[in-house]
Amino acid sequence: MKVLAFATARERAGFSEIEIEVDPVETPRGIMGRVAPGLGVESFRAAVDFEYWDWDAAVGAAREMAIIPPVSGG
Amino acid sequence: MRRHIEFITERIVAPDVSAVTLETGAQVEFKGIVRGMENGRVIAGLQYEAYVAMAEVHVGRMIEELGRRWPCHAVWFIHRLGWVPVGEVSLYVRAEASHREGAFRFCIELIDLLKKDAPIWKAAV
Repeated sequence: MKVLAFATARERAGFSEIEIEVDPVETPRGIMGRVAPGLGVESFRAAVDFEYWDWDAAVGAAREMAIIPPVSGG
Repeated sequence: MRRHIEFITERIVAPDVSAVTLETGAQVEFKGIVRGMENGRVIAGLQYEAYVAMAEVHVGRMIEELGRRWPCHAVWFIHRLGWVPVGEVSLYVRAEASHREGAFRFCIELIDLLKKDAPIWKAAV
């Protein structure tokens, strides 16, 4: 799975994109605990295959996950 | 409904096309411009980034859902990314509809939704 981090999440996680092996039963919270321990996800949202996702819901066969900081477009 | 969604790094130029039909009675155009002040301090511009693949999905869905409430014949959405200097356009929205209320409401509500859920970020520089 590809894991992406944007804006402030990228600065805090220390990466913009990584590729990792993921078990379908893993959750975004668990994955972030592995790849960026200590990040603290409370102020972020998770997205899985372009959809906002519960931090504690299994990712299944998804191909891409992202950490979404508070948005500010426009 | 005809729709055009685009994320670009070049200066935004209002599209020189229209979908005006015999039923079109209103064309509302919005340009979001980078202000020279951000939280009380002078800035040179804004640096924008987006998760483009996801933003395209969500903006497309917002347009579809709003189109059911405020039917439009055509909608343009163009968001600039990268460096945008003060005074330049960062967001362009145009809605063409039968009546002015629908076109105005569409633009206002689309921008409200964008600011809430579209994965786009800006940083003042």
